[in-house]
Amino acid sequence: MAMLTQHGIKLAVHIITTDFGNLVSKVCECLLRRGTLSKALISRFTDLPQDKVKKSLWVLIQHNCVQAFALEQEGVSGDTMVVTQYMALFNNIIHRLRFPKFMAIVSKDPCKEGLEILEGLLQHGRLTLTQILDRAQSNSNEGSRDTHRESFIKLLRSRFVERCPAAEPLIPLPTEAETSAKKGGGRSAGIARKEVTLEERALAVATPMDAERFSLTDYGVDSDEEENGSKRPVPKAGDKRKQDTLKWNSELDIMGGKKEPIWRVNSDEFINRLRIKACIEYAREEYDNVAAVILNSMLEGTKCTDSTVSMSLDSIFEEVIKSEEGITMNLERLRCSLEQLDFCSKIEDGYSVDLKDIIKKAQLKEVESIVKKRYGIEAFRMFRLLSNGRALDTDKVIMKCVVCIKGVAKEVSKPTYSSRHNKMERGINAVVKKKRDSFLGHDEMCDGRKFYKIQGHKVEARELVNSMKEKGGGAGEETMPSVFCPGMHCWKNDTGEPISDRTFVDKKTTPKILYMLWKDNFIEMEKVTTGGPRQTDFFLWRLKKDKLWHQVLDEMYHAALNLSLRYAHEVDQDREIVNVNKEIPEVKKRRDRLIKVRFLLDSSLMKLDDAVLLFHDFLSRNTPNS
Amino acid sequence: MSGRGGALALKRKRPGSDGPMKELDTDENNIYNLIKSKGDTGIWKGDIRRELNITNTKIIDNCVKSLQSKQMIKEVSNVQAKGKKRLMAMEFEPSKELTGGVWYREGLLDDELIKLLKRLCLKKLTKMKVATADGMRHEIKMSGGFNYDFTVEEVKEVLDNLVLEKEITRVKSNGLREFAMFPINADCYKLKSKQTETGAFSLIPCGICPRINHCAPDGIISPVSCVYYTKWLEF
Repeated sequence: MAMLTQHGIKLAVHIITTDFGNLVSKVCECLLRRGTLSKALISRFTDLPQDKVKKSLWVLIQHNCVQAFALEQEGVSGDTMVVTQYMALFNNIIHRLRFPKFMAIVSKDPCKEGLEILEGLLQHGRLTLTQILDRAQSNSNEGSRDTHRESFIKLLRSRFVERCPAAEPLIPLPTEAETSAKKGGGRSAGIARKEVTLEERALAVATPMDAERFSLTDYGVDSDEEENGSKRPVPKAGDKRKQDTLKWNSELDIMGGKKEPIWRVNSDEFINRLRIKACIEYAREEYDNVAAVILNSMLEGTKCTDSTVSMSLDSIFEEVIKSEEGITMNLERLRCSLEQLDFCSKIEDGYSVDLKDIIKKAQLKEVESIVKKRYGIEAFRMFRLLSNGRALDTDKVIMKCVVCIKGVAKEVSKPTYSSRHNKMERGINAVVKKKRDSFLGHDEMCDGRKFYKIQGHKVEARELVNSMKEKGGGAGEETMPSVFCPGMHCWKNDTGEPISDRTFVDKKTTPKILYMLWKDNFIEMEKVTTGGPRQTDFFLWRLKKDKLWHQVLDEMYHAALNLSLRYAHEVDQDREIVNVNKEIPEVKKRRDRLIKVRFLLDSSLMKLDDAVLLFHDFLSRNTPNS
Repeated sequence: MSGRGGALALKRKRPGSDGPMKELDTDENNIYNLIKSKGDTGIWKGDIRRELNITNTKIIDNCVKSLQSKQMIKEVSNVQAKGKKRLMAMEFEPSKELTGGVWYREGLLDDELIKLLKRLCLKKLTKMKVATADGMRHEIKMSGGFNYDFTVEEVKEVLDNLVLEKEITRVKSNGLREFAMFPINADCYKLKSKQTETGAFSLIPCGICPRINHCAPDGIISPVSCVYYTKWLEF
């Protein structure tokens, strides 16, 4: 999912402007808006001289906001040539907002002695071990070089620090075999294989293997790379380019690129920790402290890095009683609590927790709270009804009923079917007999339960009919469609019956609220015209999460940008009072106000960033920067 | 009965039961029969025209007027569609679909009743910790505050509404601890242990701003000049 939204880019540019000035931000914006580019193209698009672009890129690379890679391309004359490309790392730019959070995580971790080192790495982007140790020693009077080295190793073992990715990995031209496989892969293969972008490939090549990434021992990668570099085919016509590349490499050497391994903060690990924290907080808010303690113990016990954690009841119990809050827990209470957790499912030999599921629930909760605040409690009820319904099964039926209306209702010509079960079933059977293609099928299980296959999905007849009758089956002459539309998603033009009834909202207000939500893209509407002698228009309302989540994320970036801008404005406005005598009452008042304002804006930004993480980072944690 | 007093029985007619029928012409008769056949759901004038294939609406209007004056049919308002009044034979009472059931009074949603019930349910749940819809129905009945005897379905509707409002949660009983007195897998309702905190986004002015789409750093509406921000940052 491409999650690079307009306001996301604006926020990223604002962060870079604040930290590194306008020149660097111009280059960064160009890369964010236009995608991966070569130095020459950046220079052309930004109207900046090449050396300024180069220096800006250095800054961005130093702070892990840009990754370079050498791309092998076919020249005009059929030769291969290598062009260095630069891509902006959007996630890493936004991570700059989260540095205080990263620091807080380490300060609570057993390796908190490394806080000084981490601070240095966050400030400088990437450093060699010598630089790290020198800096740590000069900044603190306590501890020898060896103790600082120990702290660094602890950070490395906890994966808070990692070896920097290769400075300029080579992306070779696809081989003939790869090209033919791509061309002749067939349709099914095309669907199965996820398209890998050039940027994703570059990042994958640049990132060292785990053993090397978190090891202090030099694996001699640099020497290998040098070999690669020397083997790199450079066209005759590109001699000048080759010289450029070599010069560029030597410039990288100045930054410590080849001589000694360079280190940086591993944001993946921090995001993982924040993800676990967010899940535990969700459990605490939605359930209670006990749920949070259980989840915390499960995640701690497995040192969770995957999205699913499975443990036996005994192991969970062992972990729970280790914690201070869980000491009073007993097995029965634990089992009872585990079974009440929505995100916890019973498996053969224990319980399994799906973190992705928790994140999705937390996302929904965030959007629901926006709806409640913006549109009121009645809209909140409607939105919740549309978002998760009463039960999952009902949702399934709803989805299929949309198909039903289009397909089946047109087929049933007599609009005299009431909502009575037997007539309904007869109606469906008639269609099934008539239409024997894959669209609608009919199956009977050995236990006598009937199923209808609608576009490959199985729906039990009773379930379908019950749901329809319960929610949409209105008066007799309301005909098939109203029977087919389960109330939750179907709202009749002039009545608004089902949604309003379910949510206790006045029938006059229902269309207004639905319209408001629709206007702001919170829900989608589909107009369905039924066939038969009486043409009736129906409006189906539904929530399309992907689209809405993207919109909400963009609004969040917008809000984060606004908070940052207002913060800068407030500080700027009160700049004059900083050096004025504190004793003057007027100045004191303004200073106090500024402290409160800064605190409120700062803490709001941090909280808002938690929500951004929820929508942007937690579910696509291992995917490269988009 | 027909054997012994057949002749007498024929003589003893109900006053007015057959009389007006005799006076009905064919159209009136057809319309009356159709209306009567619809029972407690009644029928809309437009549907009468369609079902009886009468093209001239005046005929229907006249017949309906005549039937109404003879007190054979009545006009009933439909809570689903206020503009489409339904015609119903005198002997029927409008169905739940037409009146809207217990939640409607004179065609309007009875907000007071719903609020009262919700409050009562929350109060009872605070005491009971966990309850089923049936249990809650019993509690409501015992409270004696309502003249009407609510059905389990109606109580369930109220409880489900509270679930939608995130005041309570619906859980399946597992027969353990607090669920020990309920059958396994029964739908139970439980008070939320803690009111869920509001989301981070909705706590700041931008989260609830109706003009967020018109806001830009250099625009007429901007975070620097925003009135909502100014109000928010008043200390």
